[in-house]
Amino acid sequence: MSLSDALPTFLAEARGLLEAMETALGVLDGNPNDTGAINSLFRAAHTIKGSAGLFGLDHIVDFTHEMESVLDRVRDGALSLNSSRIELMLLCRDHIDRLLEVVEIGSEPDEALLTQGEELTARLRQDLPASAASPSDPIHWAPVTGDDPVRNLGSDPTEGDTLWHLSLRFGRDVLRHGMDPLSFIHYLNTLGEVRQVYTVTDALPPAEEMDPESCYLGFEIRLHSEADKQCIEDVFDFVREESQIRILPPGAHFPQFLALMQAVPEDNHRLGEILVGCGAITERELEHMLDAQARQKSDASPTSAPRLGEALVQEERIQPELVGAALRRQQEVRRRQAQESRLLRVRADKLDSLIDLVGELVIAGAGLQAQVQGQGDTALHESAQEIARLVDGIRDGAMNLRLVEIGETFSRFGRVVRDVSRETGKDIALRIEGAETELDKTVVERLADPLTHLVRNAIDHGIESPEIRQARSKPSQGQLHLGARHEAGSVVIEIMDDGGGLDRERILAKAKERGLLPSDAEPDDAEVWNLIFEPGFSTAQSVSNLSGRGVGMDVVKQAIDALRGGIEIESSPGQGSTFRIRLPLSLAIIDGFRVSVSGNEYVVPLDMVLECMEMPRDLTEGETPHLNLRGDVLPLLPLGAFFGLPKASVTRRNIVVVQWGGRSAGLLVDELQGQLQAVIKPLGPLFKGLPGISGSTILGSGEVALVLDVPGLLERVVSVDSASYLQ
Amino acid sequence: MECRLIQQDRRGSFVLEGELTIHHALDMKQALLSVLAQSESIEISLAGVTEMDTAGAQLLLMIKRAAEEQGVALRLKDHTSAVRTVVETMQLAGTLGDPMLIPGEAADGDHP
Amino acid sequence: MNLVKSHDTHQESGEDNADALSQYLSFQIKGESYAIGILSIREIIQYGRVTSVPMMPDFIHGVINLRGAVVPVIDLARRFGKSATQINRRTCVVLIELPNEGGENETQLLGLLVDTVNEVVDIPPEAVLPPPAFGSRIRSDFILGMGKLADDFIIVLNVPRILSRGDMEWVNQLDHSALKADAN
Repeated sequence: MSLSDALPTFLAEARGLLEAMETALGVLDGNPNDTGAINSLFRAAHTIKGSAGLFGLDHIVDFTHEMESVLDRVRDGALSLNSSRIELMLLCRDHIDRLLEVVEIGSEPDEALLTQGEELTARLRQDLPASAASPSDPIHWAPVTGDDPVRNLGSDPTEGDTLWHLSLRFGRDVLRHGMDPLSFIHYLNTLGEVRQVYTVTDALPPAEEMDPESCYLGFEIRLHSEADKQCIEDVFDFVREESQIRILPPGAHFPQFLALMQAVPEDNHRLGEILVGCGAITERELEHMLDAQARQKSDASPTSAPRLGEALVQEERIQPELVGAALRRQQEVRRRQAQESRLLRVRADKLDSLIDLVGELVIAGAGLQAQVQGQGDTALHESAQEIARLVDGIRDGAMNLRLVEIGETFSRFGRVVRDVSRETGKDIALRIEGAETELDKTVVERLADPLTHLVRNAIDHGIESPEIRQARSKPSQGQLHLGARHEAGSVVIEIMDDGGGLDRERILAKAKERGLLPSDAEPDDAEVWNLIFEPGFSTAQSVSNLSGRGVGMDVVKQAIDALRGGIEIESSPGQGSTFRIRLPLSLAIIDGFRVSVSGNEYVVPLDMVLECMEMPRDLTEGETPHLNLRGDVLPLLPLGAFFGLPKASVTRRNIVVVQWGGRSAGLLVDELQGQLQAVIKPLGPLFKGLPGISGSTILGSGEVALVLDVPGLLERVVSVDSASYLQ
Repeated sequence: MECRLIQQDRRGSFVLEGELTIHHALDMKQALLSVLAQSESIEISLAGVTEMDTAGAQLLLMIKRAAEEQGVALRLKDHTSAVRTVVETMQLAGTLGDPMLIPGEAADGDHP
Repeated sequence: MNLVKSHDTHQESGEDNADALSQYLSFQIKGESYAIGILSIREIIQYGRVTSVPMMPDFIHGVINLRGAVVPVIDLARRFGKSATQINRRTCVVLIELPNEGGENETQLLGLLVDTVNEVVDIPPEAVLPPPAFGSRIRSDFILGMGKLADDFIIVLNVPRILSRGDMEWVNQLDHSALKADAN
């Protein structure tokens, strides 16, 4: 695979990292000290830089380098990520995104983009100390040992990063073997320029003991050279056996090494191999170290042998930073591999066709059950039971495959909140709870737009400007809360703001003006709030460019209805509003409870069924449709009458108590037929808006049964109830 | 070519001549150490040194250190370019501590 | 002419489908013969178990299970303002595929309840006359044309018009009236 083949992979990966950046910035916006987020931010910038380097995308490398430098200081605690820095980081993120776009179309950044990059770079550099702001890498070359001869070189700190450091301890016999260390030093000048030499004389014994033919001198050398480590190491080929030769790469090579570390093939995740792969150590050094390690291991207990990284640093073969970076890279690779082995990418359509098949299986299974019921064969019955149990398991497993966390959708709103609050001049903090709540993939996808609308709405119309908030003695920063949780077979999503709340009078006035309500009506709050879901109903006095773009709350309601969910509003003047969306866990296959009314079969989603009972004998029809259930007054809905079905002659009727979203009611039906698995089939456009019916399913007999829309029915019960109450 | 340490006078002046290299190191070590006993203050001229290697440099370091230990003031002078090259390469001027006369270009004629 | 034109919009080439274009399925409703161009017909099945859907206009007969898909069935007699179709042995459901209104390539499957299916007849385009302005037994806008057979005329139905959703979406209105009825 050539590099250009890998470019799309790089682009895709970089985009993923940009997303990670955005998520991290969103987290940091609320909690600037979140080290996890800071690290992931740094890693993202760092990895983009590294990979961009591989492709020779120097402008991206240079730009991300600046970003990384600032983030490095943040990571070290030298800088804090205040809101203006987060802002800047977001801009940088966007800038990288645009640079990637340019790469993708195979072009070069234009003037405007370059200017933008320079401006951002300038802003980034304000956060960097003068020396680190130079194009060289901010990672400083650190002394290797405590008593460090290198310091004696008094080296120029800015130059230090570009120099190799050679630590030479020649063997005692080199002179006898006819080799003079001096000539090595002279030879080094052919590879570059020897800038500094410090002759180490510590090993020189007292005169009497000294063998003048032995070599006691050591040298610490600073070399400026473009040669690679291997090439420098080769200089000492003839003396290597008997001498200690340590070659430390220049600090300025660090970014290069780090970039190369990223490029070390992923299947190759041993520390030594990473270091050799990026050129920080040579093969020979690695072999030597591994041999030493092996020897130590056999000598002493295995635990006492120093680890490779430590040993390399101890032996001054490499700087600790590089070992640290390599270890991070190693962990990263391991983590990714671990994740990859845990996660498997599957095409959505493959999954969908599997779910379809499972649906067919469930129906066929129900058919089998129905047939077996009629037979007296116990063994057959048991086999069918076993198959039914397995089908259950397969169904649950298949449905689970579709579950995704809502967090990803939520985290997108960090950006929405930030952008919209800037446009409106409001100061808003976003709090997210329950990001790990799982729900059906399709639901999450179809929820994105309604949620965006509600979030924008809360910022635009809900939360007041800082001035008004102060005047109302509220904190000038508004709070927006996005939460998700599981609750009794459903998922509840809340969008809560601490703004001004809905204006009851204005909504009422408008509804009456539009003829949605009689002019003398005095509905309760919940009914008033529901009015904003009427088509074309918008209370914003001025149409801003955010909300009020013609897409109204009615669209939100429609989208949620289409998901067989419901939305309710709580609002109190001056304190804010809560929009609560309630959704079924799954869309495709549900556990259902079958009932019959006047010879028609209906299915109630089981998770909404509280209990079933025979209709009390003392409850006759025509009475106020209420049931006293253990002291609670439960409204009753005679399903047959509601659907306009002819009355069937049944000796004893039954009540199915259903609940959804804190409301409950009794459905009056003829017969209870028991549980079943229902594969939900949409009824098609012809039946759009049909009250009380949310879809259909196919029974084991092949017959179609309608699935009751419990939330819809409960709404009817309440409205019918209040309507009759008014009369 | 040989290497010799020649006593100039009784006041401790010596002249070092020839190749101060590994080949003569054993002899030169003894010769150098022996001069320390002769006076409290010794001056060695390196004017005759035509060649020097690491072994030579080690000898100079040794004798300097030994002199110091014995409380003898030892001064090296008249560094030839052969000596200077080594001292500069190893950046030993500070360690040896003797003022080195760095001649102008014209005087640098004896460099090989 | 009207008919040819309307088919041309659905079919890529009038040439290749020349034969099919002039072929019609004839069937009977309440003793009257009607015809539909065979290009829109998917299949004809025997009347099976139909699940009725409450609170729908009376011409929505219900829904059936067609190999796992839930398909609505329209009672054409009711749609024409006559009494409901009496179900018997010969009752059939003609399944037709219509382009979904609004959807680009989506089609919608619908069943038409008919008393009995007769035969496939050949009516050349020139034998299809414009619908009479008045005097027919059903709404004239449901008629695409009058097909001239050997010794008789047959009503060629304008299926998309009959099943036009604008006309059929009564649900919301019904919803309110149902509520009132219930509340009273």
